[in-house]
Amino acid sequence: MDAVFLTLAEAIDGGALQAGALWALRSIPGFPPIIQTVHILGIAAIMGSVVMINLRMLGLALPSQQLFEMNTRLMPWLWWALLANAVSGGFFLFARPFRYLDNPVFLWKLAFLLPAIALSFLVYRISLRSEDIWSRTAARRITSKLAALLSLGLWIMTAMAGRWIAYAEYLYYPA
Amino acid sequence: MLEELLKAPFWIDIENWPLSWEIGGTSWFPFLESIHVIAAALLVGAIATIDLRLLGVGAVRYPLSTLGREILPWVWGAFMVATITGLGMFITRAASHVVNPAFQWKIFLLALAGINMLHLHRSLSTLLQADDTRSKPHLRLRLAGLASLLLWCGVMLAGRWVGHIV
Repeated sequence: MDAVFLTLAEAIDGGALQAGALWALRSIPGFPPIIQTVHILGIAAIMGSVVMINLRMLGLALPSQQLFEMNTRLMPWLWWALLANAVSGGFFLFARPFRYLDNPVFLWKLAFLLPAIALSFLVYRISLRSEDIWSRTAARRITSKLAALLSLGLWIMTAMAGRWIAYAEYLYYPA
Repeated sequence: MLEELLKAPFWIDIENWPLSWEIGGTSWFPFLESIHVIAAALLVGAIATIDLRLLGVGAVRYPLSTLGREILPWVWGAFMVATITGLGMFITRAASHVVNPAFQWKIFLLALAGINMLHLHRSLSTLLQADDTRSKPHLRLRLAGLASLLLWCGVMLAGRWVGHIV
């Protein structure tokens, strides 16, 4: 598996995408912190959308809001945030492919992110079937809470792993 | 006066607290930093919902009072966590942070965001009650919502910029 990511990094290294990303990061004044802020605002949109839906499913937040309505109103924010974060994150990944693709913490991030997206999409599709889809039986109520807890954990760990990419040596070469 | 205060030996003393050394030299720093980012994102994600409602852009089916009652506790909780983790990081490099322009901007914008919030809940409280269910609130409420949105984006940008200057 690691070999796949290394091959990908080698393919990016020295190419036009890398040149473009490096040019933007080095030449546009303030570009790195600005694009990182876009990335964190994307995370804020994830917190305000799918994480709030998960907290609602767990019965912890927004008691006056209905899940069906929340899903139709908030989930587009998640899809746009994911797009924005793929682009903003892409600048850094294409500029320094080995820093990410040859880094176990980045792979951990993907290992949290991809299931988080898949689970959120699945829960979203099910939530749109009917207003009471998650509350009809006791089994469904339990399932919805477990799915929400797992989704919440995956999103939090994605953000956590993302921040630790820069600190891989703390984890893999402890003092 | 301010210049002297910012360059006082006091800030170096803070950096030399045993706690500062413990955080700065261990995995505690990245741990606090990642919690700080998650709390900050939750704070902005939650408060943006209220700001967009004030602007009449989103969640207009809900009364302002309902949204405020159900979302503001999350905003305050996230703010507390971000403050504690932020202080934990601050003490490791207090002397350089207080003279860092990005950090100074961050504190300034945070203060403005706080003033804007006070203004909304004190000076505009009558308006807030009158327009509770209006899908397009009064201009002054919309402006307060826009100010909050922009100020919090500014706090994030300045906060992220801190690490590029130190």
